[in-house]
Amino acid sequence: MSPAALEAPRLLLGGDALQGAAGVPRDRSLELAARYHEPESLAVSLSKAVVAGADGVLATPTPQLRGALALLKQTVPIYALLPHPAAFRRDAADEGVAGVLRARARGAGFRVRVRHALARITHGWAAARGDLVGLVPLLLELEAPRVRDLRGIVLSARLTDLALAARHRRFFERYGRFVHARFGVVAGLETHNLGHLLRALREWSLHVDLVVGPVNPAGVRMKPTPAELLDELRQTRVPVLAKELRGGGAVPLLAGARYAKEQGVYGMVADLVDLEDLGGELRALRAMQN
Amino acid sequence: MSPAIGVPAAVSSGDVAPGPSRPVRVAVAGLEPAGIAHLATLAMIPDCETVAVIDPDSRRARDAAGLGFKAPRFADVETLLAKLVPDALIASGPPDRHLAFAGPALAAGVSVLVDPPLAHTLESAEQLAALAQSHGARLACGHALAYEPVFHAAREALAGGALGALMRARCSIYRSDVFGPRQGWRFEPARSGGGVVANLAADLLFLLDWYLEAPIEVRATWKKLYGEVEDELHAMMRLRSGAEVGFDCSWSVPGYPRAAVVVELEGENGKLLASDDALELDLTSERGGQARGHTVRRRAELPPRARFDWDGEALYLQDASFLAWVTGGPPPPTELRAALRVQRVIDALYRSADQGGAPVEIAS
Repeated sequence: MSPAALEAPRLLLGGDALQGAAGVPRDRSLELAARYHEPESLAVSLSKAVVAGADGVLATPTPQLRGALALLKQTVPIYALLPHPAAFRRDAADEGVAGVLRARARGAGFRVRVRHALARITHGWAAARGDLVGLVPLLLELEAPRVRDLRGIVLSARLTDLALAARHRRFFERYGRFVHARFGVVAGLETHNLGHLLRALREWSLHVDLVVGPVNPAGVRMKPTPAELLDELRQTRVPVLAKELRGGGAVPLLAGARYAKEQGVYGMVADLVDLEDLGGELRALRAMQN
Repeated sequence: MSPAIGVPAAVSSGDVAPGPSRPVRVAVAGLEPAGIAHLATLAMIPDCETVAVIDPDSRRARDAAGLGFKAPRFADVETLLAKLVPDALIASGPPDRHLAFAGPALAAGVSVLVDPPLAHTLESAEQLAALAQSHGARLACGHALAYEPVFHAAREALAGGALGALMRARCSIYRSDVFGPRQGWRFEPARSGGGVVANLAADLLFLLDWYLEAPIEVRATWKKLYGEVEDELHAMMRLRSGAEVGFDCSWSVPGYPRAAVVVELEGENGKLLASDDALELDLTSERGGQARGHTVRRRAELPPRARFDWDGEALYLQDASFLAWVTGGPPPPTELRAALRVQRVIDALYRSADQGGAPVEIAS
């Protein structure tokens, strides 16, 4: 695994909107669901994004995404957001993290079950104690996509923020090592509590390949407070990719991106929901990165 | 340079997060996922220490410890109280356990926050209320929707009298969750107290009580699509003023990966529409500090106050506001009397639906 293989991307197309993520107005969410109902239209957008300069796509590998990728002749670098946020929230409501693992294992195909069984040899003991150190590798083993150009695994915010609140330093130490060793790709963390996470990583002297979190001039979802988050952003050595650049629609995309860049972010994630002119706006964001 | 530099204007001195005014020790009872969410949230509230967890199931306690929440575990609240008395207790998990968790704590004078609904039956909820009152202990219910910024802003507009006298209202909550027979306590009426109303829509009933007033009569019908509990319920409620309120809820409709709430009110001075996305007012005259005409306040425009995001701001604000009350601050809107009124409405809705939509009066 060369260091270049683990280099964080500067510009990603985000697919939060495809999963009805928080912060997306319902009418916009429905509009996008209709637009991307057929994999052909999503494939066109993915292709356009790469041509316009995006380094890849940050999205949960849903059947919809896999269908779109299968239609493309070119490869699209994928940074897989795992586990699937909406499905995870639904399944965890009854049984917790361990319950999600059980549900995924039940629904998995033969090959995945074999991989899962092998992972249990190394992580089963920790998982049996309900430890994220064991549970997360098993979940990733079940959910990691088999796509042509997997470049990264990004742990979705619910699990990152759970480990963060629990001050589970050992988990953060081992997560990156597992992803590198098992998948050979970038290990990322998505968070809705960016300031808290950067502070914890700084205090623990831990490094991860990339962190994805909200940065925008409206201060939307910038925790614990925008001022504290920006202070951590100035101190961190972790590559931060800003998301929710429009602050829930409060500012135009490019203004949000300029603001994030000025605050020192390493790169950014422009979600489908925020892009009106996908090609044009992504080209402008790319130019901002150069 | 971008037009907005530095700290966003949204953060002003008036938008300080609520929280305890002194160090506070909290116990969390019930380590199902909702209890874990409280543990995560409490860990991020300044001056708050989780000193114990309570759950009769040692596996759940082990799982919580595995996630990194390592407070000492007790099998029941009585054992905890023999060893230490926390300042506050949060009772989570199946409503049929709320009385067992909260009762001994209230009797010891400990402040208690209960996840909604207060209990699985009206009788059990009234027992909790009696305990709180007789021991002078604080008791609140966690109707988190009250802390979502848009719905909180709607309450402020209504409290200022923007709409005037209410003429009619309708509201709904939908989520895509149950599409076949499911296992677990939420689907066992003896434990949960009911289905979509008890488990999901209780928060919306609280909003109606908070915005308007408790209804005096309800008529309801339900559908039990996949099991013993209702998956959908439709109701009309009559207020003391004579105004009618339509109420719809379902957790079995596609297209709602997240719960979607809509409240539409029509008063003599105009209309209010509050949803997860925005608060919209359409007023015929300026009133209560609200401008005449159509105004929209999107969620993103409302000041963020929580220091930790757990699927939004509400859980942090709810728990932190409760702890502020515990340490001498103002009572939260979801305190005992309001929570008990909600429980009476739930009970009436179920009785009406069980009688095929017959009108059921609610005693005040």
